[in-house]
Amino acid sequence: MKNIILIDSSPKINEKSVSGYLIEKAARRIDDQTANKNFINIRQSFTGHKIQEDYKILINADAVIIAFPLYIFCLPGILMRFLQDYYQFYLENKTKSTNPKVYALVNCGFPEPEINLEAVRVIGSFCRHVNANFRFGIMIGCGGMLLGAEGKPVIKKAVEKLDNAFAEIANDIQNNDTEKKYNILVETMNFPEWIFRFLMNKFGWASNAKKNRLKKKDLYRGPYLL
Amino acid sequence: MKATIISDKDFQTDLFRNLFEKIIVYFDSKGIETKTISIGRNDLAFCMGCFGCWVKKPGECVMNDMMSQINRNFINSDVVVYLSPVIFGQFSANIKNAIDRWLPNILPFFIKRPDDSTMHPSRYKQYPYVIVVGYGEDISDEDAQLFIDITKKHRNNTEVLIYKGDDEDISQELDKITLRKAGGYL
Repeated sequence: MKNIILIDSSPKINEKSVSGYLIEKAARRIDDQTANKNFINIRQSFTGHKIQEDYKILINADAVIIAFPLYIFCLPGILMRFLQDYYQFYLENKTKSTNPKVYALVNCGFPEPEINLEAVRVIGSFCRHVNANFRFGIMIGCGGMLLGAEGKPVIKKAVEKLDNAFAEIANDIQNNDTEKKYNILVETMNFPEWIFRFLMNKFGWASNAKKNRLKKKDLYRGPYLL
Repeated sequence: MKATIISDKDFQTDLFRNLFEKIIVYFDSKGIETKTISIGRNDLAFCMGCFGCWVKKPGECVMNDMMSQINRNFINSDVVVYLSPVIFGQFSANIKNAIDRWLPNILPFFIKRPDDSTMHPSRYKQYPYVIVVGYGEDISDEDAQLFIDITKKHRNNTEVLIYKGDDEDISQELDKITLRKAGGYL
């Protein structure tokens, strides 16, 4: 029985997140008969003060799947804190480490999935520091579409591609394959990027502002300039 | 000319102190007025991805902590220097929190840059020139390259330096940079 840890690293508080969605979908692809699945939600770990408890689970993992959003072109601070502190925990407990396989699921707000590459490389570097075996990442462009258009035909192809990618992770966890794997890129939009930009710029943000009783021109405020 | 130096309170090693002193002395020699901000692990909340800084309180974070002071200093500086330990090829958590919560300083909309990449437009006409110095005694070549890529690949008007303790290098590298206010091209 493999011990698999699925980490939802969304910094959001009490709000549905793409990382949570990805973890849920990835978990569904992992057979309960062959794996014992443990879930960590980093935000809840910090607020519930159970980081040390989670680190003890993590150090015994056979495989780890980390899902997170791209923040300013890299890992969000909350995930960096979790991994940075885990590294100290690892140094004090390294004899217990099980050299797990690690997978990264990264989603960004921009359409181009390839901008997640550096974040995937950071997970690779983390693995080299904690004697883990980084396998590959799934890089998702415009991840918000997965929640915003859930169940709609517009993301059907992306959902299928994601499902296949999760199957690949589930398969890779179970086999003894050591061959290098390539990252998988998933574009969620099946229409031109300019349409996405047009719709978001014209209606998306303004509609959000309206809900907060702001006008579109209010979005341009520059409060910090002295 | 005004500079702000942002550093990580939790990684103030001998190497850091040496680097910090070199930069302070360098700026002093150029007549640059320097403000220093040091961030500890309890100083900044994690960005919670709420986009309140775009659609609730445009230009400001909805969380009230040290970040409003950091962002105010950032926007009103000519040069901003981040001094960050290189951890897994990235910024430390404390510095990354400050970078994540820099988000109020740009607009929510989407634009296409000349290189065809997507970006958010600038909120202000002028931004400081940003220098990021990654430091550490045992930074591998792979992590150093990753730190450079993370910093340079998606940003304009930004310089990145890696400091492993070679003082001559850091002064020479700083000499190559034209210290100035950058425009609004991010």
